[in-house]
Amino acid sequence: MFRVPLAKAISLGSPKRVANIAVRASASAASTPAKAPERIEVFVDDIPVQVLPGTTVLQAAAMVGVEIPRFCYHERLAVAGNCRMCLVEVEKSPKPVAACAMPVMKGWRIKTNSDLTKKAREGVMEFLLMNHPLDCPICDQGGECDLQDQAMAFGSDRSRFTDINFTGKRAVEDKDIGPLVKTIMTRCIHCTRCIRFASEIAGVDDLGTTGRGNDMQVGTYVEKLFLTELSGNVIDLCPVGALTNKPYSFVARPWEIRKIDSIDVMDAIGSNIIVSTRTGEVLRILPRENEEVNEEWLADKGRFACDGLKRQRLIAPMLRTPSGELQAVEWESTLIAVAKAVRKAPKGSVVAIAGSMADVEAMVATKDLLNRIGSEIVCTEQSLPTQGSGSDLRSNYLLNSSIQALEEADVVLLVGTNPRYEAPLLNTRLRKSYVHNELELALIGPKVDLSYKYQHLGDGAELINQISTGTHPFAQKLKNAKKPAIILGSEMLARPDGAGILATLQSFANKISKPEWNAFNVLHQNASQVGALDVGYRPGVETALKAQPKVVFLLGADAGIVTREKLPKDCFVVYIGHHGDAGATIADAVLPGAAYTEKQATYVNTEGRSQQTLCAVNPPGLAREDWKIIRALSEVVGEPLPYDTLDELRERVEDIAPHLVQHGKLETNSFATLAEQLAKDKKIDNSKITVRQQTLKDYFMTDPISRASPTMAKCIAAVKKQEAKAH
Amino acid sequence: MASALVRLNSIPKHNLSAITPVIANQIRGNTTQPPKATPPPPQPGTPPAQTKTKFGGLADQDRIFTNLYGKHDWRLKGAQKRGDWYKTKEILLKGPEWIQNEVKTSGLRGRGGAGFPTGMKWSFMNKPSDGRPRYLVVNADEGEPGTCKDRDIMRHDPHKLIEGCLIAGRAMGACAAYIYIRGEFYNEASATQVAINEAYQAGLIGKNACGSGYDFDVYIQRGAGAYICGEETALIESIEGKQGKPRLKPPFPADVGVFGCPTTVNNVETIAVAPTICRRGGAWFASFGRTRNSGTKLFNISGHVNNPCTVEEEMSIPLKELIEKHAGGVRGGWDNLLGIIPGGSSTPVIPKKVCEEAIMDFDGLIAVQTSLGTAAIIVMDKSTDIIKAISRLIMFYKHESCGQCTPCREGIGWMNKIMHRFVTGNAEPAEIDMLWEISKQIEGHTICALADGAAWPVQGLIRHFRPEIEARMKKYAEMANK
Amino acid sequence: MATITRILAKDVSAFWPRAFFSTSNAVFTSSREAPLKDPSAVIAKPEEVEQKKKLSGVITVPTKVDISPITGVPEEHVKTRRVRIYMPAKNAMQSGTNNLNYWKIDFDNRERWENPLMGWCSTGDPLSNMQVEFNSKDEAIDFCEKNGWRWFVESLPAPKKEKPKSYGINFSFNKRTRVSTK
Repeated sequence: MFRVPLAKAISLGSPKRVANIAVRASASAASTPAKAPERIEVFVDDIPVQVLPGTTVLQAAAMVGVEIPRFCYHERLAVAGNCRMCLVEVEKSPKPVAACAMPVMKGWRIKTNSDLTKKAREGVMEFLLMNHPLDCPICDQGGECDLQDQAMAFGSDRSRFTDINFTGKRAVEDKDIGPLVKTIMTRCIHCTRCIRFASEIAGVDDLGTTGRGNDMQVGTYVEKLFLTELSGNVIDLCPVGALTNKPYSFVARPWEIRKIDSIDVMDAIGSNIIVSTRTGEVLRILPRENEEVNEEWLADKGRFACDGLKRQRLIAPMLRTPSGELQAVEWESTLIAVAKAVRKAPKGSVVAIAGSMADVEAMVATKDLLNRIGSEIVCTEQSLPTQGSGSDLRSNYLLNSSIQALEEADVVLLVGTNPRYEAPLLNTRLRKSYVHNELELALIGPKVDLSYKYQHLGDGAELINQISTGTHPFAQKLKNAKKPAIILGSEMLARPDGAGILATLQSFANKISKPEWNAFNVLHQNASQVGALDVGYRPGVETALKAQPKVVFLLGADAGIVTREKLPKDCFVVYIGHHGDAGATIADAVLPGAAYTEKQATYVNTEGRSQQTLCAVNPPGLAREDWKIIRALSEVVGEPLPYDTLDELRERVEDIAPHLVQHGKLETNSFATLAEQLAKDKKIDNSKITVRQQTLKDYFMTDPISRASPTMAKCIAAVKKQEAKAH
Repeated sequence: MASALVRLNSIPKHNLSAITPVIANQIRGNTTQPPKATPPPPQPGTPPAQTKTKFGGLADQDRIFTNLYGKHDWRLKGAQKRGDWYKTKEILLKGPEWIQNEVKTSGLRGRGGAGFPTGMKWSFMNKPSDGRPRYLVVNADEGEPGTCKDRDIMRHDPHKLIEGCLIAGRAMGACAAYIYIRGEFYNEASATQVAINEAYQAGLIGKNACGSGYDFDVYIQRGAGAYICGEETALIESIEGKQGKPRLKPPFPADVGVFGCPTTVNNVETIAVAPTICRRGGAWFASFGRTRNSGTKLFNISGHVNNPCTVEEEMSIPLKELIEKHAGGVRGGWDNLLGIIPGGSSTPVIPKKVCEEAIMDFDGLIAVQTSLGTAAIIVMDKSTDIIKAISRLIMFYKHESCGQCTPCREGIGWMNKIMHRFVTGNAEPAEIDMLWEISKQIEGHTICALADGAAWPVQGLIRHFRPEIEARMKKYAEMANK
Repeated sequence: MATITRILAKDVSAFWPRAFFSTSNAVFTSSREAPLKDPSAVIAKPEEVEQKKKLSGVITVPTKVDISPITGVPEEHVKTRRVRIYMPAKNAMQSGTNNLNYWKIDFDNRERWENPLMGWCSTGDPLSNMQVEFNSKDEAIDFCEKNGWRWFVESLPAPKKEKPKSYGINFSFNKRTRVSTK
């Protein structure tokens, strides 16, 4: 049945629909076991609803489907209660109350549609519009502006601001807060959402208000850039057009773009995103709400690096000429050249190396192809110890606690990682827990700014032994904790003594783990890593290099770990990827692939949650989806792969690892104890622990897409400029 | 904002019933009839019924502030000579309940402007302790234009305040008192600090205060001179070192106050009269003024009077009598009177006709659609440009708005713009109604009462002086058309 | 059309309070009282009752409807398309949630290009601009089945936990939620 407008109108307008929700809400409340905290009954527009004590009027109204207008209130930020838009009438109260801050009392009758409520809202709206510029036609927020929408509902159709003819409206100077966020401060309605975001979520107390009354301004107190890895979120939070997307400014209107749900691959968190496109261009990326992964935030790299998708792209297949230059040729001749090299190579001398953004489908297809031609060596760029159980057991390389559950942890030990830049959205979780649950944190590794206070244990690797043997005082804290967690950075596992670190920490984690709580976590930096290990790739390039390969397939391997010098002279390098980066420069044949916005592909995040991207735009030029390239190549090689469509390929993926096609679901596992028995080597060098991304400068360019992005380059320049300043 | 006006919705619900008679009376506008005395003996803490019908003419022996004019020594010795710190230990040893009952019996209502019953306010702190310390905060941020009572207390009678802190602190089990003095009151802060030092040295406060076994500290915190910091929650924020922006209620300061601990914020005058109430008995204090408006009060009379002054008088004294008796009458005689702002700048102005019958107490002024506020009487004679005067007040409020919440931030600025034009008459008569509506749109929609205090003068002006505004507009239009 | 009746029933129950239904599909006047019985049913013979029962129930005929041969949609757009059934996410730029709870279908993306004449966006895909909204997932699935498209359903994100917000914690004396900047 189509959803006809009439039905829609009835369903929305009719109070009966609301009543239905209320019935359900109360029914579910009644069916919950007696252990649940006692609920109190309140009435929203005469509909009874059972709420937990302390629930605010606004939340109670939301439970019966009544949305109260708001500007300053945001469910993930502290309550401010200053915009006054959410005023509602409560029976027996002479004045309207601020719904966002007022906790309900038993038996309250809240009237969200009464004359008093309406009048209050209209009054506040008039005041907000009084000093708000009438520049919607040139405002980037136009079309997705809360003020605009609510003015349609509560605003007057004409202004009575007669003083426009005398003194005019307020004007405020714009601030320069960096290359990502554009400010038009005249539009500001002082909701302070950005300030609260900066101080609570990002942990950077840079934003604030100065001045009083009508002269109050939101800004950085001193002339300063608002530089954090999460700065883009204030754009989303701003209910008006005061903070807008600088790279996206004046680019498009919300009604002319298409939105496609996708997954971010700039880090291993797998943030849910919405890709906005027009014609064949990705214009911007917004976060998509997912409570289990990214809540509703998005790190700056995921949001702003998308302009890197238009630069440095490989748009045609290329072959290296005898003179040493890459020359664009037809697909046919490239595939033939590659197939020739593959056929010529002796058995077992064809290897594949997957880079940081390789998708599961392409990796499976490559593996299948190599297996068919008698080669077993497929590996990832990022290494992981293979001694003991290695990558055979998932719990060895996953963030076992899961991102959402880390919020509940009470003591966390970070080892050799800087989550603030390696996984900004994991860091916000830790910070959230730090703020709300009194989480206690300690770090072994270089002293970095994590945006919250933590105990810095030092940067010597011997500390790991001290922790595991229990001689270190913090070990006792971990042991006594209800939900302890150890987060091990992936860079630690790439160390020569990675196996020792892994085994030591894992055996210690086993000691402190609880029946329903696995304390051992690995934090990856590459979006492809977990997926690759899940489908049977070997971590680390050593095996591949040792095999003296004749043909190397680089699946977007751009980290610079594989170089010409490390490969045999006569080795034929095939690069399949989307950017002309480190990998393409050493390649003999370049097969242009699709970036994450251009294909429907599966990625597995660091906690083992498989998610899929969707095709937002088509690959540019002659570029094709990666798995299709492999499939075509297999035909030319003479070993055709048995799948022609994505569905068939996914069936094959399902054969290997069924959880990979269950998108959105988290596959849990509990082999930790077993893993410990398998791991024997526990030797750790007494060397310093270091991480690659220590300051914000290091954060912006870490992968081929962000390296190609001019916005990211501007960010680095801005950080350097800021560092040169006194404050 | 010494005249922080407590809103009805800002009182915890469980306490609402307690003040319902007060409200009911206000709503009815009942000024004279106290409810019939009930046959059974009143509960402890109920003020005795008032039998007097005529008020005013406070006798010298009934004055609480005996050094209001600084004619005597304000230091410890002089204060003790005047009866301060007399038997304080005995009072303290009688316990919190006794003190609270005495204050309840006295019928003392907050002197900062809102007139909330003080005894009841203190009893909100009676909850069992949860480990958090409790604080008493004294609001000495007297910024209301026209008001100058607290400064006289702090300058000339600081020991009354400090003794009051100790007694009030005992009544609510507080461990310390913070006296928040506005930055401009340099001399007052100095005098108070000297008095505190003296009291510490004499063992009157500090460890084992007055030998009662009760520890109590008094600290002075100086503000930076923002009017909004006189609002109790903004004051708390300011003490905590943050921007003085009011908090929403709930949570009430009695639950989450300064440094997140239970707190009571009282005006200087309220605290300073407490020792005398305890010494002379609540019933004595209740014998002044009408029921529910009992006690004596400091009145500040300023403006166009022959002898501007601060004077302690009995509550419920008729306004005209107060001015004639203590301020030497209106400049140029009573007939030269234009209007009076009876309770500090945030209360609506009343014209001469109303002034003649107005009774200076909480209920009496509510009956004439204004408010007692801080009892700072601003008298304006016929030489006053009333529109300009009110416009100036609005300018003050616009400047002092904290900018946190929308109606106040935007609305008062708008009112200021309109009022500015009203002064010259450069406006349409229809804009008077618009201004009225705007003021109603502001009133009651904000976090604190500053916006209410800004809206009321405008409402008072329009209510009583609309013809003047219209006449000016007409004149301006005529001039413009020439 | 059995499927359709099923959806209708589902649909309506989603729209109207449960009470409405509990009275309409049974002869119970209230859950406590014994059901009212039709006198003629009580005195009827067993075989009559059997016969009546057979006639009274809804007969469901499991037929799969495929209208793709008659819709006029070119075969290539039936066989090769993959439909995603999903619930549109809230726009991160806005806080409103009122127009969200419906299901949509999307086709796999085909190539688009800039029109050389006006610079507008062109596409060779006639289905890319089809915006159909559904009240429920099942309706969308039925619609796709009927049209012969392959489909998959995007799973919904986990629901949010109910957690009362508190204004007071901004001023808490011993918690890190204490707000310093404003």
